[in-house]
Amino acid sequence: MPVPAYSFLLLSGVLFTMGAVGFLIRRNPLVVFMCIELMLNAVNLAFVAISRYLNSLDGVVFAFLVITVAAAEVVVGIAIIVQVYRAGRPMDVDDLDLMKE
Amino acid sequence: MVVGFALVAAWEIVTAAGVVAFRKPMYNALSLVANMLGLAVLFLMLNAQFLFAAQVIVYAGAVMVLFVFIIALINPESDVALPPRGNEWIYGAVFGVIFAALLVSLLFNRGLTGRSGTLTPEAIAAVGNVQTIGIALYTKFLFPVEVTSLLLLIAAVGAVYLAIRRIR
Repeated sequence: MPVPAYSFLLLSGVLFTMGAVGFLIRRNPLVVFMCIELMLNAVNLAFVAISRYLNSLDGVVFAFLVITVAAAEVVVGIAIIVQVYRAGRPMDVDDLDLMKE
Repeated sequence: MVVGFALVAAWEIVTAAGVVAFRKPMYNALSLVANMLGLAVLFLMLNAQFLFAAQVIVYAGAVMVLFVFIIALINPESDVALPPRGNEWIYGAVFGVIFAALLVSLLFNRGLTGRSGTLTPEAIAAVGNVQTIGIALYTKFLFPVEVTSLLLLIAAVGAVYLAIRRIR
């Protein structure tokens, strides 16, 4: 295996950071969701890389469960976003305070 | 192998920047599709064929189709219409630099430790990749799998409930 494990973990860290920055600076809730997906994907990459270099399958199974949980999360999140859109609210995460009412 | 990894890594970073930086949500979504396909290639390089298929089908297929449909349904220009926010993005960038420095220093100071398992690529190839994961899922990880199935059921019911309910 000529590619060292560090390079995969480094790439995973870079991708996670980019997702976190996007989560902080973007205002459209859909784009914020995409940045969350980016972070989950980066964590999956770290899981699979560790699993490969330790000769174990636990990381792969965890990554599989993360994919499942992310799919469930996207379904509920997009349903909420569509509800907010139907209510005629602005599509800006800074202006969303429906839960307070 | 190293050249391939470098190419895919550059692809991943460019498409991730696209997800963060594009102004139109549709471009963000398409960048994310490209990013997930590149990640699937990385899974293949890491000898996780089953996860490669799951990534392409579930993420690049189902989840991103949902995103693209919703962007096409609601106003795709909504982010552009917002008034500009000023210089607040600098805080995000500063956070990113600090966070990345923390991650990298952690990685290179602590090193990689852990007890090596028995499932070498040869051992997996002898049984079959999907078979090995299937055995792990339904023996060692049976309880998490059942809990996840319950979670999916709850998410489906919740999405339907949210879809039929009307906010004032």
